[in-house]
Amino acid sequence: MAETSEIAISMLIVGSALSMLLMGLLISYYGSSKTRNVGILFLALGIALMYYVTSMAYDSVVFMNSILAFVGGMLGGIIGIVIFLVAIIKS
Amino acid sequence: MDMSTEIGDGVIMDYFVSMLLIGIGVALLATGLFTSYFGAGKSQKIGLGLLVTGILAIIITYILTFEAGTGVTTQFDDGVFMDALVSGISALAGMIIGMFVILFVLMKVDTVDDLEDLDLEDLEDLDLDEELKKLEKELNADSSGEEE
Repeated sequence: MAETSEIAISMLIVGSALSMLLMGLLISYYGSSKTRNVGILFLALGIALMYYVTSMAYDSVVFMNSILAFVGGMLGGIIGIVIFLVAIIKS
Repeated sequence: MDMSTEIGDGVIMDYFVSMLLIGIGVALLATGLFTSYFGAGKSQKIGLGLLVTGILAIIITYILTFEAGTGVTTQFDDGVFMDALVSGISALAGMIIGMFVILFVLMKVDTVDDLEDLDLEDLEDLDLDEELKKLEKELNADSSGEEE
């Protein structure tokens, strides 16, 4: 078992990097002038954070397992919302 | 970075399946709470059903992870489960923080100067009374044409 703080910090960075990557992509594509520049900045920041977290001197197996857990949780959440929508629409 | 995982060592079961169950449980719990509170009639009953299913999913995951005194053999390693839970919550917290940072910066950045691209001089030269009279004339002409 890995150090809990290591997992928490690395996954915190992964989460913020992911949101910055996705939001940066959207803002830089659909934004105009100043907003677009902000989007590109966020995109670059997201890439930099991703690079930092993957190149960190940290147990890669634990990191990949944490990513697996995160993907599982997200997928579970999506399945739950789909079940809710099916139940509401079918009624 | 070595991107290998310990697949075959119970990793999929301990990390992925446990968090999948927790994810389904939390999503059903949250949507069930909302639907049972704000829904009416049939929707409220469905909400209650979803709420109960969500609570059951979480309880089942708990029983399958920790020694709950039920006599059921645990399927997930409790230490690994806690690591998975910490990683999932941390990643979610990170995503929320990232969103807040983006919203804060976007609100702070003055995006009003995009309006400078608009040619407002045309609007200033516009005589509204004259335009109104023109519109009235057009409307009158249309209505008289319909009467004929």
